[in-house]
Amino acid sequence: MGEKITFWVCAVIVLGGALFTITRRNTVTAVMSLVGTFFGLAALYTLLSAHFLAAIQVLVYAGAIMTLFVFVVMVLNREEADPWAIRGFFTKVILGLAVTGYLTARVVIYLGRVPDGTKSLPPTEFGSVSQIGDLLFGGYLFPFEAVSLLLLVAVIGAVVVARIPRKPADEAHAPAPVEEKHG
Amino acid sequence: MTGIPVSHFLLLAAALFAIGVVGVIVRRNALIVIMSVELMLNAANLTLLAYGRARHDGNFHALAFLVIAVAAAEAAVGLAIVVGIFRNRHSANLDELTLMKH
Repeated sequence: MGEKITFWVCAVIVLGGALFTITRRNTVTAVMSLVGTFFGLAALYTLLSAHFLAAIQVLVYAGAIMTLFVFVVMVLNREEADPWAIRGFFTKVILGLAVTGYLTARVVIYLGRVPDGTKSLPPTEFGSVSQIGDLLFGGYLFPFEAVSLLLLVAVIGAVVVARIPRKPADEAHAPAPVEEKHG
Repeated sequence: MTGIPVSHFLLLAAALFAIGVVGVIVRRNALIVIMSVELMLNAANLTLLAYGRARHDGNFHALAFLVIAVAAAEAAVGLAIVVGIFRNRHSANLDELTLMKH
């Protein structure tokens, strides 16, 4: 019973936060509702016995990525004159319902074929740090190392793309070019 | 102990993904579009973890971990591109970015 209540509360938080994210004109409101969505998802991960990933979700998404978003909101800080690419309230609602209906129908088709193991409890070490560590440093060693390289490339790429280009004329007079650091 | 059926999680993930798709389509702000992409990635992760729970398989967890890492890289580079575009054009409106239009 308690699990059911937790699930439905989290589902409402996740979907409500997601809807708020895509409908609010104020970008800070959108970012904050996205944080709510991520926390709700972390709670759902714990319901699915994925405790390590719930912690990672809070740390990486609700912590790091959201900080990045807030920083960019601060840099941009401009009101949108016309935030919607598609006009008309009903066009948007119909589009949303059509996409949701299509995806839900696709999921429902395959639901019967899913072996539902949620009735039985998983092994105690399921979703623990040691199990995921064994996997990541065992069979998933190459993807793990590739991801570390990818993160390095992404960080360098982000700095290169977002830095202010130095103007050659200013260099003679300006004492030291102040560069903004990003990320 | 009666767990929650895995179908609930799958349907929730489908709805979350749909919200992300609609956000990408209907919004013009590049920042909101990136946030919608993050929503879709999270929906995919929720699906992975739901299947992992249903099949008692830890491989899904490793996969979801890699997805989170790639999503972090994607967010960093995407936001850097938005900042770069904003520096040059003083706008984050995706409909105004027609430089590469033929």
